Amino acid sequence: MHRSALSILNRRRRGSDLRASRRFVRWTAAAMCLGLLAATGELASSNPPLTNVLVLYSNGRLLPANLEGDRGFRQAVGSLDAARVAPSYEFLDAPRFSGPAFESIYAAYLRDKYASQAPQVIVAVGEDALSFIVRHRDDLFPRIPIVHAGVGQSFLSSLAQLPADIVGAPADFSFEKTIETALNWHPNARRLIIVTGASRQDHALEAQARSEVTRFANRVQVEFLTGLPTSAVLEALSELGSDAVVFTPGYFADGDGRVFDPVQSVTAMAAASNAPLYGPFTTFIGVGVVGGSMPSFEAIGRQAGEIFHQILEGTDPGRLRLPRAVPQTLHVDWRQVRRWGIDEAKIPADAVVHFKRPTLLEAYRTEAVLLSLLVVLQGALIVGLLIERRRRRSAEETERAQRDELARASRLAMAGELTGSIAHEINQPLGAILSNADAAELILESGGDRNGELRNILADIRRDDLRASEVVRSLRSLLARHELEHRPFDLGDAARDVESLLRAEAEERGVTFTLAVEPIPLPMVGDRVHMQQVLINLALNGMDAVAGVPEDRRRVDVAVGKPGNGMALVVRDRGHGILPEHRPRLFEPFYSTKNGGMGLGLSIARTLVEAQGGRISVESDGSTGSVFTVTLAAGDRGTRRVEEPA
Amino acid sequence: MNIPPLIHVVDDDDSLRTALLRLLESAGYEARGYASTGEFLLQPPLDRPGCVLLDLRLPGPSGLDLQDALAHHGVGLPVIFLTGHGDVASSVRAMKAGAVDFLAKPVERQTLFEAIDRALQLDARARTNRLEAESLRERFASLTKREREVVDGIAAGQLNKQVAHELGMAERTVKLHRAHAMEKLGVTSAAELGGLAERFRRLSEE
Repeated sequence: MHRSALSILNRRRRGSDLRASRRFVRWTAAAMCLGLLAATGELASSNPPLTNVLVLYSNGRLLPANLEGDRGFRQAVGSLDAARVAPSYEFLDAPRFSGPAFESIYAAYLRDKYASQAPQVIVAVGEDALSFIVRHRDDLFPRIPIVHAGVGQSFLSSLAQLPADIVGAPADFSFEKTIETALNWHPNARRLIIVTGASRQDHALEAQARSEVTRFANRVQVEFLTGLPTSAVLEALSELGSDAVVFTPGYFADGDGRVFDPVQSVTAMAAASNAPLYGPFTTFIGVGVVGGSMPSFEAIGRQAGEIFHQILEGTDPGRLRLPRAVPQTLHVDWRQVRRWGIDEAKIPADAVVHFKRPTLLEAYRTEAVLLSLLVVLQGALIVGLLIERRRRRSAEETERAQRDELARASRLAMAGELTGSIAHEINQPLGAILSNADAAELILESGGDRNGELRNILADIRRDDLRASEVVRSLRSLLARHELEHRPFDLGDAARDVESLLRAEAEERGVTFTLAVEPIPLPMVGDRVHMQQVLINLALNGMDAVAGVPEDRRRVDVAVGKPGNGMALVVRDRGHGILPEHRPRLFEPFYSTKNGGMGLGLSIARTLVEAQGGRISVESDGSTGSVFTVTLAAGDRGTRRVEEPA
Repeated sequence: MNIPPLIHVVDDDDSLRTALLRLLESAGYEARGYASTGEFLLQPPLDRPGCVLLDLRLPGPSGLDLQDALAHHGVGLPVIFLTGHGDVASSVRAMKAGAVDFLAKPVERQTLFEAIDRALQLDARARTNRLEAESLRERFASLTKREREVVDGIAAGQLNKQVAHELGMAERTVKLHRAHAMEKLGVTSAAELGGLAERFRRLSEE
């Protein structure tokens, strides 16, 4: 509009046009002014007038108690009221400033300041403020309702009968409960030290203390440290022993005239004191006092705020629904409880506990329960697993023992099968020995010098004797009780050891038997006897297999060697072979394709082979024979072998 | 003439074979050893008295097979089996096949020598019989057909007259043939003739 107006102004510069544009501008301006007026009128008419509130504090602006109280007050007043309320805050700054002269200056200041904006409600916080207002009321703000806050009942009682428009909830600032608590929590205490200051306010507190402490006189020795310089106070406190407790409301001024916030004084005292410190104000909690029984300043402020709110609503002060007195609550600093070793059971359940870090258990109860449940379960699982392990171990032991027994039984059975050839193997050398001995006898009888021949005879006898004992020895090791060994040995040597037995047996049965051992070291780690047992078993099986076939097929060939990384023992026969339907079950126990066979040999063989980490398998086309292959791991890795001189 | 007998020891066990040879030689026998039946059969058949000591279980043809082979070749050496097994079935089979004896190793020398002596005796007698049979065969082969017929008749116990009648000859001719035969055969009496003919017949049957 502005632009078009301007353009109108610019374009139409002729007389009639100019007149028209001037007229337009005037009308626009008028419209805008009307609008503004209307708006202002709107605002003015729709909003109620703001209520002026004067909040007069007894002490300084930054007194912690004031800040807490103000917080409570504003909570109670709420946001709605806040829009209708225009608060002003004034501070008497007692005890720093006091006396009639100051008061009259201050009253004059208030009067002048609020002449044009007289407060419609006054909130007097603290005894000093209340008494000041009461004194100067008629002068300053006659007939303005006053809400008092943070004033003790005893003080109220000491004032002359208050008019109906001075209302408020008294706060219980008595010290009794605090002192009672202190003595209860420290049953060994014999001395009660009470520290107060030098200002007028401090004197009032001292008077209150003196009156309230009389009833404790029979329990403890009461000592007052009053109006002393701070240094003296601190020194006295530091010399206290475990038989003392200290109570102080703090002080505003000490004996030297130095001025404090009570909290500051208490902080210093708590740091120096060797005895536990108790105080009656919530603002002391956290600076080193153990605790005390006190009304919360915030609650005080809140109560005042509620009363104020009712007045704001228009209730006549005389008809106010007054809240009860702001009661005391026990507050305690947990850190101090721990410090002084106070019995936690003595702390009542409704006490407000500060600075207590919830124990891990309390903070994370659910998690803790879950965790402990987990731990218990885990423990149970571990125990269960351990039991399982023990059971399994013992089962394995039993199984191993049984297997060894079975292996031995099988060996004995095999030895039984081999008796013919065993007898032969032994009888050969025995026969030679006997005939040699007989020959020697005859030679001796014939006389003459044939010593050379006799020497040969004796040498032969010795050799044959050793031969026979070799047979017996290898037989003994085969037949003896034998537990699974795990030792290095040469597979080729082991095979050759039983060659003569097998050869003799083969001859007995009219079977051709060959043993081909690769002429290289064949080291492995395992059980020598068991491997021999497996070899004998397979060889005898082979001989059984060729029992009924024509002579050119009556042969069993054994090869021992090292194809590749592992070692192999191969037993081949040219019998009828194994039918496909038998092959899968061949190594099962009690499965036999022989008439009268128990079917244990191959299953034992497989057990023994697998116990050494090997595998046994069979190939057969079902007609021209079978090949049994035993593969084993070579055991020369990591074995140091002494190089034999070439 | 007397060729001393030769004992053949066939056993693949070197040690035992050596010991047996030693023993036999110490005892005064002549002996020779062979490691297998094949080695033994490679020798030309000897016409020397002796016997064979044979291990029952040998590589290649068994002892029993050798026994059969020997018989087949007409080498009549008696066989003694030695075995380290003591297997009953084999022993029965061996004896049925005509083995002289079946000894178990280790063998006591007395047992061995007795068996050997028995075998050698058998061998000697067999030889004698064989020689005699040979000689008889020659002598009888020298007879003519007619002479032979006459001898057969007389050996049967017939009188001259009966033989003449049987053969369709004159009695005088019979007597003539008889005289010639007796001279060829080297006998002097009819009884001797009969005995000789009988022996011949028996030996031929063996």
